Amino acid sequence: MRAAVIASHVLAVLVLPILVLGLMNRTRALWTGRRGPPLLQPYFELARLVRKQSVYSVATTAVFRVGPLVVLATALVGGLLTPLFGVATFRFPYDFVVVAYLWGLGRALLMLSALDTASSFEGMGASREATYAALAEPVLFLTLGTLAMATGQTSFAGLLHVAVQTPGDVVVRAMSVAALLVILQVEAARSPVDDPATHLELTMIHEVMILDHSGPELAALHYGSAIKLTSCAALIATLLNPLAPSDGALRYAGANLVLVAVVAVLVGSIESLVARLRLKAVPQLILVAMGAALVSLLAGTWTGGAPG
Amino acid sequence: MILVLIAALALLSGVVLAIALRNNVHRGWASIASQGVASACVLAQAIPMLVRGGEARSVYAWSYPVETVAFQMDALSAFFLAWSLPLTLLGTIYAFGYLRPNFKTRNAGVQFALLNVVSLSFIMIYTFESAMPFLLGWEIAALAAWLLVIWEYRNQKIRFAGFNYLVSTHVGMFFLVAAFMVMYSQTGSMDFLSFATLLHTPSSLRDVTFVLLITSFGLKSAFFPFHTWLPRAHSAAPAHVSALMSGVIHKAGLYGLLRFTLLMGDPEPWMGWYLIGFSTLSAVAGVLYTSAQRDLKRLLGYSSTENVGIAGIGFGVGYLGLCWHQPALIALGFGGGILHLLNHALFKCLLFYAAGAVYTSTHTIDLERLGGLSRKMPWTGGFFLLGGLAISALPPLNGFVSEFLIYSGLFSQAAPAGMERGLLVVVGALLAFVGGVSALSMVRAHGITFLGAPRDPAIHSSGEVKAPMLLPMAVHAVGMVALGLLPVVGLSIVNQPATLFLELQPQAHAVAFMKVADGLWPITQIGVLVVALVLVLAVLRRWLVGRPQPASVGTWGCGYPAVSPRMQYTGTSFSRHFASIFETFLPHRERKKLPETCFPAGTGHLNTHCADAVERRMFEILGNGDKTVARMAKRIPEEPRFSFGIGLVVLVTMIGLLLFGTGSLR
Repeated sequence: MRAAVIASHVLAVLVLPILVLGLMNRTRALWTGRRGPPLLQPYFELARLVRKQSVYSVATTAVFRVGPLVVLATALVGGLLTPLFGVATFRFPYDFVVVAYLWGLGRALLMLSALDTASSFEGMGASREATYAALAEPVLFLTLGTLAMATGQTSFAGLLHVAVQTPGDVVVRAMSVAALLVILQVEAARSPVDDPATHLELTMIHEVMILDHSGPELAALHYGSAIKLTSCAALIATLLNPLAPSDGALRYAGANLVLVAVVAVLVGSIESLVARLRLKAVPQLILVAMGAALVSLLAGTWTGGAPG
Repeated sequence: MILVLIAALALLSGVVLAIALRNNVHRGWASIASQGVASACVLAQAIPMLVRGGEARSVYAWSYPVETVAFQMDALSAFFLAWSLPLTLLGTIYAFGYLRPNFKTRNAGVQFALLNVVSLSFIMIYTFESAMPFLLGWEIAALAAWLLVIWEYRNQKIRFAGFNYLVSTHVGMFFLVAAFMVMYSQTGSMDFLSFATLLHTPSSLRDVTFVLLITSFGLKSAFFPFHTWLPRAHSAAPAHVSALMSGVIHKAGLYGLLRFTLLMGDPEPWMGWYLIGFSTLSAVAGVLYTSAQRDLKRLLGYSSTENVGIAGIGFGVGYLGLCWHQPALIALGFGGGILHLLNHALFKCLLFYAAGAVYTSTHTIDLERLGGLSRKMPWTGGFFLLGGLAISALPPLNGFVSEFLIYSGLFSQAAPAGMERGLLVVVGALLAFVGGVSALSMVRAHGITFLGAPRDPAIHSSGEVKAPMLLPMAVHAVGMVALGLLPVVGLSIVNQPATLFLELQPQAHAVAFMKVADGLWPITQIGVLVVALVLVLAVLRRWLVGRPQPASVGTWGCGYPAVSPRMQYTGTSFSRHFASIFETFLPHRERKKLPETCFPAGTGHLNTHCADAVERRMFEILGNGDKTVARMAKRIPEEPRFSFGIGLVVLVTMIGLLLFGTGSLR
């Protein structure tokens, strides 16, 4: 049984990101009145990149070659620790701290490999990424810390299951969802923070950092970013899940998967309907998320922390 | 204790030899050999204590005014001694390589002798348990550090930095003397154990003493806002001195804090909150300053302020654990804080050594002029990268382990529900902010210095530095990786010191500190998993595309054909976006003459600088405070100025009456 759960989780970490990305692209296509590419299109693109040769600039060093692999590795391990099906396959106290710092490791290597190319555009992207990541980090910890406080749990497995009993719990849940949504947009570089489909280097954040990567390295970066996106979406989905694991594991996991898809459609719709923010306005968006997290914290403190 | 005495004698004879010998090389060897003997003796004494605990105490009579001199070694002293001396030895080996180019022209014996004196002062501070000898050790450490800083004394700027340090450290000393005077006046003895009787019972005198001690130890360890001497001194001093000051010498302040915590027994909650608030402020302000510096060693100096703050947050959590009788909080707070001190010593010294290697190779540490150094200095670049990742607390390196313990304390469910737990969550979020900004600063420092292309054609690198400078870095790097991948090693080192704090509460059911270690196995597993995955992916890539093609093309210039290295992002431009959000803390100064027309005739220039807002404002207030107040008063319109004044007087009187009436002001 345990082996089957682990196998399905590993499989989900590997496959789900491609479907989530495909679903998002399909959503955007539908909003613009096109039929859109097939759901598996991201897979075909990754497969094409993997078969290609990499081209390295003369300015680069080993950091440029190792960076993408670290990004993918940390994203994979982070995916293993997040509750994709709502229940955590691997859990230990304070695993959320580890996941956040693993993402941090991947991000640091990504920024370093961008600086390694000696390109001013890539330096610009790294600078923006570093700034927004530093601002988003406290929001993530405030949200997860509040949830840990409200549920009396210390790992992803438990802290996302906020029992809704008092109005305070509703506020905690709603505000945490809002904050995590902004975190997703920042961490996974989606609009309105960043536009993955833009064509002008001057306005990019994530895409501009990987301008010089090619072949398998580029595939690793795209794949890693998709896994991070899916992990974030799974956090939101678990938080929204109305069922409890006691309602039957399969039903619960199914509901969670459906909610991941809903989050993907939601993020895709936001991307289609909302214009990209000016770079100066991104910190304000993060500030709004910080406000939401603070409200959630106050509500959690007000209710006095539930059991435990 | 006899071993410690032998160590002290060895160090003293090293001092004599380093001054008396005729040749700089011999002087260096004398210092290294004597420190090696001393380190071995001290380790032989300290390691059994760290494994089994226990303590050794001996008291000697001394004539007036000292009366008695008490030596005491317990697990806490053993912990500090066990790494302070060996790390100083490594620093001396580094100094041997760093000062080598000056061996023909300068007498380096003084530096080596002073490094021995620093080691000696560690033995004094960490084993003396009487106020007078303790102060003596404290003062010796301060003076030795000052003399070490002004090695290039012909440079006026460096003399100024040294003087600044000397004054600051003595201001801290006044507070310490004041605290000792208060305690002496009550107990009539200079022995620390007798101080415990005063510190054990809550009284307003104890509160005052606590604040005096925190201020003094805060100044020693460069907490914000007492940090202003630090970046100056660290950028002026030779690299090994900056490394030892930041990583090892200034830990004495936090040792003092811990020692007096042990004497105090049960603190009050406000002390814990005070310590947490003070430390959080220090961590946040320190890390903000690291983000915009263009001098590599200044940047690292500010990061010391950040890291002592992080350790201080741990101690604060431990204090609260003592107040709330929560063994879990005591173990996580003090254990994490103490481990962070060791971790910080490991990676901070490494980073300073790497910065010194950059200076040796290129004769500059100005970020804006460097670039692409890891081609010329692959080892130094690699070590700096490791150190930078570790100081940003990224797994699988050692900084993450101690911060993880502190996070575990902050998010623990052991705190009383409600207000207290909420506040700790906020502190946790601020610690996460510190981590994020630290990653920004270190990516910037490493990326701008070692990656990309050289920014200034006038800078010539003489290549990788020699073995005496690389060896200490390698040892530090091994320590960092070992403590990061195997947290259980670090925890066994801090086991006995942390147990001392747990034992302060006999009524709390004794919790074995090492139980915490069980919770850390996943960190080992995840660290190994990440490393293994990276290797697997590298093999997979080789299998997919074969041998990598040699680099043949330039970086894509987005369609612009005339790309030059001068167009790269610089240190200032990298942090500009972030710094503009925190403009109040990070004032950006520019001196510039920009080309004016479309076809400018001459060349322009632009000089940027990130000033220290606290220092600037402090000097403004000290220097022309009256003018500043007058200027601010003028901003109030003429008409209501008088009424404002009356209103202020009334307000102060009312608050005073209120405080007296409710008895808050005793």
